[in-house]
Amino acid sequence: MKNLERRGIICLLLAACLFIGICIYLYRFVTRAGDWVTYPYNSHIYNNGQVASGNIFDAGGNLLVGAKGGKIKWNGSENVRKATAHAVGDLQGNVVTGAETAFRDKLLGYNLITGTYSMNGKGKNITLSVNKDISETAYTALAGRKGLVGVYNYKTGEIICMVSTPTFDPKNMPKGKDIPDGTFVNKFLSGTMTPGSIFKLVTSAAAIENYKGIDSWSYNCSGTRTINGQEIKCTRPHGKVDFAGALASSCNCGFSELTEKVGAGKMKEYTEKLGLTKQYDIDGIKNARGSFKFPGYAPLSLAWAGIGQWKDQINPCSMLVYLSAVATDGRGTVPKVLHSAAGGGEKTEQMIEETTAKRLRDMMKNNITSEYGQGNFPGLDIYAKSGTAEVGTANSNAWFAGFIKNADYPYAFIVCVENGGFGSTVAGPVANTVMQKVISTEAAATN
Amino acid sequence: MEIIKGIFTGIGEFLISIPSSIGDTFSSANSAGDIYTTFARWIFIFLAFYILLKSIKSLLKSNNAAEVWAYLNTGPFINIPLKHWENVIGRAGSCDVQIDDMSVSRAHGTLTRDNDGIWKYMDLGSKNGAVLNGTRIEPNTEVEIRTGDSLVLGKAKCMLFPISIEERRNNIWHRTRDTVLVSPWASLIAITVFQVMTVIQLMIGLDKRYDQQITISYMGLCGLMWGYVIVLRSMKRKGFEMELIAFFLCTLSLAAVATRFPNQVFKQFIAICLGVGLFFFMCTWLRELPRTIKIKKIVYALAVVLFLINVIFGESRNGNNNWISIGSLTIQPSELVKLAFIWVGAASLDELFDKKNTLIFTGFSLFCFACLAAMGDLGTATIFFVTFLIISFLRSGDLTKIIVIAGVAGVAGMVALRFKGYALARILAWGHMWEPQYINAREGYQITRNMTASASGGFVGLGAGKGWLHELYASETDLVFGLITEEWGLIIAVLTVLAILTLSIFAYRSILNGRSTYYTIAACSAMSIFIFQTMLNVLGSLDLLPFMGVAFPFVSYGGTSMMASWGLLAFLKSADTRQNASFAVSLKDRGMGEEDRL
Repeated sequence: MKNLERRGIICLLLAACLFIGICIYLYRFVTRAGDWVTYPYNSHIYNNGQVASGNIFDAGGNLLVGAKGGKIKWNGSENVRKATAHAVGDLQGNVVTGAETAFRDKLLGYNLITGTYSMNGKGKNITLSVNKDISETAYTALAGRKGLVGVYNYKTGEIICMVSTPTFDPKNMPKGKDIPDGTFVNKFLSGTMTPGSIFKLVTSAAAIENYKGIDSWSYNCSGTRTINGQEIKCTRPHGKVDFAGALASSCNCGFSELTEKVGAGKMKEYTEKLGLTKQYDIDGIKNARGSFKFPGYAPLSLAWAGIGQWKDQINPCSMLVYLSAVATDGRGTVPKVLHSAAGGGEKTEQMIEETTAKRLRDMMKNNITSEYGQGNFPGLDIYAKSGTAEVGTANSNAWFAGFIKNADYPYAFIVCVENGGFGSTVAGPVANTVMQKVISTEAAATN
Repeated sequence: MEIIKGIFTGIGEFLISIPSSIGDTFSSANSAGDIYTTFARWIFIFLAFYILLKSIKSLLKSNNAAEVWAYLNTGPFINIPLKHWENVIGRAGSCDVQIDDMSVSRAHGTLTRDNDGIWKYMDLGSKNGAVLNGTRIEPNTEVEIRTGDSLVLGKAKCMLFPISIEERRNNIWHRTRDTVLVSPWASLIAITVFQVMTVIQLMIGLDKRYDQQITISYMGLCGLMWGYVIVLRSMKRKGFEMELIAFFLCTLSLAAVATRFPNQVFKQFIAICLGVGLFFFMCTWLRELPRTIKIKKIVYALAVVLFLINVIFGESRNGNNNWISIGSLTIQPSELVKLAFIWVGAASLDELFDKKNTLIFTGFSLFCFACLAAMGDLGTATIFFVTFLIISFLRSGDLTKIIVIAGVAGVAGMVALRFKGYALARILAWGHMWEPQYINAREGYQITRNMTASASGGFVGLGAGKGWLHELYASETDLVFGLITEEWGLIIAVLTVLAILTLSIFAYRSILNGRSTYYTIAACSAMSIFIFQTMLNVLGSLDLLPFMGVAFPFVSYGGTSMMASWGLLAFLKSADTRQNASFAVSLKDRGMGEEDRL
């Protein structure tokens, strides 16, 4: 009999399996039931596969899309609809990160406790953090070119603008086979692309914190640098540059040497530490992870990786979070797509030291004054870095990323114009136009 | 943390919405029926909580207190209490009676008591043998031992003597104190209220589909339940937790059948009656161990015949050839064979030391697997196999052998699966049901619908008869957990699983003071079937395990499965040694006449 007592434990193990299984299900139920109910075959909610329920507003309280008497009502302006198409999403669920899809359960008024019981077609309202006017300005500034504009408040985390092109009009959905690639992708949240020189801000942070000789470092740029018989090229010979000068002139040769000094391991560590490979929980929406490779055994590839080429793939949203760390105390601010009066401002882990942030700010300011020209950004206390990413097409992708210092408008931005050409001259003006609109929009001011 | 936050926001949102939803209730309600549902669905939850938690608490709280049947004196001042009817004597630490003497073998012999209180010693072929009153005992034969007889094991002198009347009373007092038996009346009334409210709810929910036999069936179930308790109370039995849990699950079962097939509820009620009848019969028979073991041969024969009939005359449903129909009646013989499987698989202590017994059981198991393979019933085959593993392990304790068997069977199963495209597709899709290619495909269709319907029910449910999952094939059997969640809410659905879990934990605890290995092995095996079946049914329908199409004990629609569930419960009941709790345990073993006073 005594033996049996011990052997009986196997039965308890079986019971434990069932118990654990039920717990897993309960966890899933609580976290995912909202998604499960929203499928079109659920006749508790839908009649004929489509339902209009709930209203979506922008941060200023303007209706973007809503339902009245079972009929869908879109915002009246076509440009606004196109500019906010990716933030709002479409009724068919093509844009997976769109609010219509991501917050469908909330819009429907689904409640975990009572299920679909109390749903009577009224639905709920949600207010997005995007601002329709700023989005519209960004959309027109892109002027039909492919690309993206992302702007967010680096104190509260609210994304006030995420425009992605090519876009579509959710009121008159495009049909047929001619829909361009990427139409339904929110490039700001779900895209990963070659960053080009804006990645030098990452290499710089790693160099400041890991290369002791950074203060006395300088490089004599002849326009090319040979590694293993192959060349790293600069746009022109920069002559003798120090660290700040190398960043301002975006000297590839100089930064390739800095990357070597930092080393492959540290570079990889910094892409992770700065949150570039991370997925943020943006009010339940997840951004895409960036991906990077730093081969210690292949110096040429490593050098290109350190200046934002080779296999570097960056997610614009996570880059923006890193910029928020530079703009503040070295900790990033987690982005949000829902507007809240309380503000928010959930912080990430320490990405870089406070002193590093300060030094990077000075260098980014120096970029403006010495290279891009403060005159191009009238009235903006702007800090930025441009990038020209070679992507194998005739024209490169133009990047411009940074932030402004302004007590009422603490905003960071990232702009990419695909196949646009040179970073500061193509993407820079777009950034300027958008940020001018931001500081003149009262609704975007904090407090 | 996130989940907790989620739950609290949910609760918060709910509380905030109360005032407006009360307003909505009256404004949007088309009829008095809707208002009834709004409130009834909360009352159902409170009743379910009350009924199940009361039984669960009572089952878990009371100890299966130790019984002392006699003492064995193994040396000066060393009196070892014999707490079971079957005891192994030897030097090893795992023996029930441990004698620390090098001349005693590790497992020297067994000491067993039969129903009439007669003790017998059997030598297990020990190295130094045993001597009773001067005569050497033949190994592997039973010898009666009387009080005062001198039994010498190796060099250790032992003597059996009974416990005094005084002590026996004391033991009974302890046992009675440890046994907390909750009076069944309050729970009975609660279940009755639940049933009445269910009938009203079904009238509202089913509207035109309502069939008068639903009322009759519920009245019948109510009467059966009260009748059962009253009859047994008159037989001085006081423990009813298990039966009440089963009756409650049957109540839900009738409701599930009512939404799917309103015109077949009465059939299900008859199945419950047959089940209770079988339960009653089995409990009575199991009371006496010798006759239980004696009919093993008949049980073997019955099982073989049932399976053979099934293989030869079986009808194919859904690719499974596991049905036979007699007139308008269809039965699933494999469900009944489950009971036989346990009946013959469980073994008393002497049988455990008998190699032939194990051999016959293994042979029978192989026969069962072969039949199930011929029928192509993957779900039942898995249940049989797991039960076989558990019984084998309980009997031998040999873990390595079990792992080898499981490994070989796993490979064989994979090979077999290659020939069953549909089953294989299901297993490949397992865990990916929400991916676009499966949602509306054959593999994912039932499961995604099941989960969407469950989510629509929320914690509280939409009210019996008001869901849409019942339109789906197999929603009254394989998807019954989802059906209950949709119409009765997640809380009640999870409570049903907890109820099954409690039965099982209770079965495990009965091992500690089991009288015979037969009862404990039987109870543990029955519990394993309950658990495993629930696991395959519930987790399978939720994309946590491959979807096999197995019945939820007591709840799923199906006559044979209902009867089998009650039969399995009888095995659990026969292990319930709490004072005066179970009628599967004879009262007269309790010490003479004391129970009148206590």
